[in-house]
Amino acid sequence: MGINDMEFSRRDFLKTAGAVGLAAAFGGFPSGLFAEERRLYKFPEKTDLILLTSRPPQLETPLHYFKELITPNNALFVRWHLADIPTSVDLSKWRLKVGGNTDRGLELSMDDLKKFERITYTAVIQCSGNGRSFFKPRIAGGQWQNGAMGNVTWSGARLKDILKQAGIRSGSVDVVFDGLDSGPLPKVPDFLKSLPVDKAIEDDIMIAYEMNGEPLTMLNGFPARLVVPGWFATYWVKALREITVVSKKYEEFWMKPAYRIPDNPCACVPPGSKPDKTVPITRMNTRSLVIGPSAGSTLKVNSAVDIMGIAFSGGYSIKDVIVSVDGGKSWREARCGTDMGRYSWIQWSHTWKPVEKGKYTIMARATNSIGESQPIESLWNPSGYMWNKIESVEVNVV
Amino acid sequence: MKSIIILIALLISVVFIRLNTEAIAEDTSAVKSIILPVIEGELKEGAGKDETAAFCNICHSTDYITMQPRLPADTWSAIVHKMIVVYGAPVNEDDSRTIINYLSSTYGAGK
Ligand code: HEC
Repeated sequence: MGINDMEFSRRDFLKTAGAVGLAAAFGGFPSGLFAEERRLYKFPEKTDLILLTSRPPQLETPLHYFKELITPNNALFVRWHLADIPTSVDLSKWRLKVGGNTDRGLELSMDDLKKFERITYTAVIQCSGNGRSFFKPRIAGGQWQNGAMGNVTWSGARLKDILKQAGIRSGSVDVVFDGLDSGPLPKVPDFLKSLPVDKAIEDDIMIAYEMNGEPLTMLNGFPARLVVPGWFATYWVKALREITVVSKKYEEFWMKPAYRIPDNPCACVPPGSKPDKTVPITRMNTRSLVIGPSAGSTLKVNSAVDIMGIAFSGGYSIKDVIVSVDGGKSWREARCGTDMGRYSWIQWSHTWKPVEKGKYTIMARATNSIGESQPIESLWNPSGYMWNKIESVEVNVV
Repeated sequence: MKSIIILIALLISVVFIRLNTEAIAEDTSAVKSIILPVIEGELKEGAGKDETAAFCNICHSTDYITMQPRLPADTWSAIVHKMIVVYGAPVNEDDSRTIINYLSSTYGAGK
């Protein structure tokens, strides 16, 4: 794919179609952004983010940051599961242990990690429960709107190269990842996640030690985290301490029964019901978002406005984005901005000049290169994962 | 008796929060540290608030409760039982009934 060769310097979002127009048309913060009156709070190394929970921290990115192609480190969302999170790491003592069903055990310092070939690519990180608060009937859990995601340029070592150095033995089934976080009481299951071996040795799986050219922020997983581009962030274990190769299918709590989706093509069940069979959630589905104009904005009749937004899918480039201003009756193809590779989101825009006053419903729908798109009605599942319904943004033209 | 249990639960959570947010004295360049803000969660008034504030603040902040949409009583009941059975919340039968009643009447969706 050549995405590893992509240079960070190509990140010039101002050149992207739409961004300039948008900045001009919507200088400042869109109104109505904080409609649900959610509190903003500043955590270490972070800007003001929407507070979902404080201990452990779950912080959501305000939508206006998604006007940018790359999400700044201080604005990237935060999601921990267990209250005992690392708040201090001494790199002179920190080691990434690698072992289990391997020829040898490794204890890698940060310097050792940096000796492996460095790879870099831009990839969307998105929480499985992003958009959970939109499901009907409502679902208990993190009440995210659209801000549990971001587009970040990650750098680090290939997991494959590390596993090769350790020497994976035949008969290996899963690779298990453990971070420095732990449960506050003994019975709370430690947060461990696993990848099938075949997935773990794919070229693009990374042990990342940099985000956007800087060391990871503590709340995003300093000193190193797993990056599984195209898959939901539940696998992207933060503040890694140990990687263990196992010869049996790993099915502890956070793999089963947690983070499961219905085992059928739509990963859905009739709203309110339970699936007979489930599988672990894995690859992200296709999504697009309208970032501007924001819901409830007032636009002027006969003046052109750039409708703009973002689109991404789980590892397959976006083929096209279509936009409607009449609630889905007619559609036009949007212009797409810089292509940062198949794991990144793209920015899109569509210039619109409303010639009549009234209420309008703006919608956008993305399709990826293997034909995956977005549903008109939401597909419901009991955990509130994989929200990707076509969103509607109502605006007023006066 | 009941207030003693609540006090113990409170103590556990206070000690835990302190451990987690204590400033770290070491300062070599290899060390990266942050100090997490301590944010007081606010629960609405109602019978059972004290039990809820004590037991449901041990493992996580009570905004885990307050961020939820209004949920039906059986969902609150399922959540409290999950905390006890799956995560080992040290809540006895009596207190769990009090907490479920509080959650269903204060943060409930009605029938
Ligand atoms: C023994 C530890 C512990 C105690 C005590 C505890 N919880 Fe939890 N709770 C957890 C864990 C672990 C999670 C999952 C956290 C995550 O994924 O972010 C959780 C999550 C939740 C959630 C989110 C929904 C879900 O199922 O993940 C709610 C609501 C909740 N707890 C309510 C309560 C209430 C009410 C009480 C008081 C009876 C309570 N908790 C006490 C450990 C605990």
